[in-house]
Amino acid sequence: MPAEQQAPPVPTQRAGLWRSFMIFLAVVGPGIITANVDNDAGGITTYSLAGAQYGEKLLWTLIPITIALVVVQEMSARMGVVTGKGLADLIRENYGVKVTFWIMMALLVADVGNTVAEFSGAAASLQIFGIPPWLSVPVVAVAVWLLVLKGTYKSVEKVFLVACLVYIAYPISSFMANPDWPVVLRATVTPTFEWNGTYIAMLVGVVGTTIAPWMQFYLQSAVVEKGIKPEHYAHSRLDVIVGCIITDVVAFFIIVACAATLFKAGIKVETADQAAMALAPLAGKYASWLFAFGLFNASFFAATILPLATAYYVCEAFGWESGIDKKWEEARQFYWLYTGIVFVGAAVVLIPNLPLLQIMLISQILNGMLLPFILIFMLLLINKEKLMGAYRNGPIFNGIAWLTTVIMIVLTVWLVVMGVRDLVA
Amino acid sequence: MPETAAQGESAADPRFRFLSSIIGRPVRGPDGARLGKLTDLVVATGEPYPLVESLVLKGREGRRSYPWSSVERFGNGGLTLKADAVASTPPDQPLSDRIPLVEEILDKQIVDVHDAKLVRVNDLHFIELKGQLRIAHVDVGLRGLVRRMGWEPLVDRAIGLLRPKAGYLKADQLVSWKLVQPLDQSAGKVRLEVAQRLLATLHPADLAEIMEDLDRDQRTVLLERLDVETAAEALEEIEPEMTAQLLEDVAPERAADILEEMAPDEAADVLSELPGETRDEVLAAMEKPEAREVEALLAYPHDQAGGLMTTDRLQLTAEQTVAEAIAELRRRDEEIPFLYEFFVVDAKGRLLGNCTLRDLVLNDPSTRLGAIMREPPATMLVDDRLEDVATAAAKYNMLSVPVVAPDGMLLGIVTVDDILAEVLDAR
Repeated sequence: MPAEQQAPPVPTQRAGLWRSFMIFLAVVGPGIITANVDNDAGGITTYSLAGAQYGEKLLWTLIPITIALVVVQEMSARMGVVTGKGLADLIRENYGVKVTFWIMMALLVADVGNTVAEFSGAAASLQIFGIPPWLSVPVVAVAVWLLVLKGTYKSVEKVFLVACLVYIAYPISSFMANPDWPVVLRATVTPTFEWNGTYIAMLVGVVGTTIAPWMQFYLQSAVVEKGIKPEHYAHSRLDVIVGCIITDVVAFFIIVACAATLFKAGIKVETADQAAMALAPLAGKYASWLFAFGLFNASFFAATILPLATAYYVCEAFGWESGIDKKWEEARQFYWLYTGIVFVGAAVVLIPNLPLLQIMLISQILNGMLLPFILIFMLLLINKEKLMGAYRNGPIFNGIAWLTTVIMIVLTVWLVVMGVRDLVA
Repeated sequence: MPETAAQGESAADPRFRFLSSIIGRPVRGPDGARLGKLTDLVVATGEPYPLVESLVLKGREGRRSYPWSSVERFGNGGLTLKADAVASTPPDQPLSDRIPLVEEILDKQIVDVHDAKLVRVNDLHFIELKGQLRIAHVDVGLRGLVRRMGWEPLVDRAIGLLRPKAGYLKADQLVSWKLVQPLDQSAGKVRLEVAQRLLATLHPADLAEIMEDLDRDQRTVLLERLDVETAAEALEEIEPEMTAQLLEDVAPERAADILEEMAPDEAADVLSELPGETRDEVLAAMEKPEAREVEALLAYPHDQAGGLMTTDRLQLTAEQTVAEAIAELRRRDEEIPFLYEFFVVDAKGRLLGNCTLRDLVLNDPSTRLGAIMREPPATMLVDDRLEDVATAAAKYNMLSVPVVAPDGMLLGIVTVDDILAEVLDAR
């Protein structure tokens, strides 16, 4: 009998836990989806090249990058939850037309660059299967365009997400390549630095691909779309943190795998075929197929989201009607923007003899250079009392975010100076 | 004051002036000393074309506001204030029904009631009359954007050279202030009434679409501007999840009022999305009969006949005559959305048959319903699936499918519009 009398609290507690878990599942998504889109063609390529060219030397950057990523993404999600508005919307309402125009132009350029990277990724991966770019790129572009506009995208999103499990190949391959783990771990916690242009370019690229500016717009809108309320924000934050960690664990193992294989063998990676060798310890002669599958999935996944998302922000900022549920005549700017981004992205890749991997890396460096400008506006907005009230940034978050901004500005300026110097010389 | 046409107003007319042409300009004292720059204009609403009441400037000592009556003269070079104004200290607290234009309207989204859509304010268009400014239009077009960038003369010249007849040069996309509804926070009683009248002219489906496009806070503001009936009609068209989120933010009494106006099945869908505590609060605040109806529906899963059905229906007995049926129909016109078809039951409420409006029109007023009713081609039990309901409706061309208890008691009807919505959703 006493046991029965004590019984009631247990179910309620369990119900509380269960309810908690259900709420987590309900708000789960934006952060984790964003994380997987973050590991797009540009991401895989940049991490691969970083590992192939510098071995373990860039691993240490992942810890500060992860901290900065968590801080920045958390800010995006928090702003979305508290204000219920997208980032483009907030910038327009608080800083007017001029500021918005230039930010949107910069974002548009960077996003067209990213779209080029996605189509490069699709072309490079299909090349491994023997399909030439002049055939694969137009087909992929039309497929992306139709998939999104016919509204069937939502139903295939889960397929993409499941296919992201292919990244498990990198940790497995890393272990099978049997790198010198003490060296790897020491490299992960020991900062080293080189003041030369290629190293800094790679560093800016790694930061730019991990903390991509457009992801902040995407994540904030996704959070708003979900209608998450401030009361449930804790779950949303967990989702974001888990997502960030996934992104960087994948990045870590891509770099380790590439360092243990490509860098060790002294291969200078110029094609996707060569980058695929990082998976050889696991997949042997099928390494390139496995790599091609992963790269294609990542490219296609991001190619469906990126141009659409970009068209949304630009229209949101300028007050044009947007949404694939609108008719073409109702939302002309939206559809033309979307179509234009897909078209330009695909057209650039069709230029013959393009070094696809280099293009992908350059687009990520561009991301890194744009990042501080977006961060400045995010920081200004999130510290506005009228907007955020009690949800403003604390000193630690402000410190980390401002530090990231300053470091990225210094690196970008340095990169530009080096570029100009090389150009003059 | 002229009733200006909404389109094609010439911006060059000296009696008209854009907000962008005076904001940010210097404000000077009578001696020509610079006091600061103009940052905002505050209008008093309540009139169709609101009057600019005061101005806000930002000087070295921070923000300060002056009544518009203290302006000596103004133009593109800036404003000059009268001597006595500079010394005076105006009241700083905002009164209700006052809108600071830059802070609350410019760059924000507002409802364009004329075109039934959401627009972003690129600029505001004033009419100047005896030194006073009144808002005439809201500029929502590309030209407004270009003007804000400061590129208007440049772009005008470029386009003038390339395509002198381009529509862009003539057409300002101006919407009359009377036909827009700003979603700022500061509406007082008078403006709420105006807003209610204005917004009630929108079709509920358009209103629903606008609501879905708004962000959370604005959605709440818009809901506050709607009268209970309009709100209920619009919310019926929105996803129940979103409606639930919206109603969570309003007082339980108002949420209850709105839910009472909604069809019971829609209200039940919304209530089932509310968290337990809020649901109980709202149910407690609802009128007893409505609450009981909705509570009964809440017990059924939403993809089964019980969850799909509404209890709002016309139900008559076989002994009643055509004349009585017509009288009943007229009496309850308000609450019953679906009048083409109704059901006939026996004294205990068991379903016997159905009649249509056509039967009533074609038969003699004294005819008993029992004589003209037909047996319904299909009936559903509460746990029948959506698919079965849809199949029956399609097969027998039914506008509403009756749902009965195992003993034949008529519980409710599933109407074809709800079936359609659910089937489209399930795809």
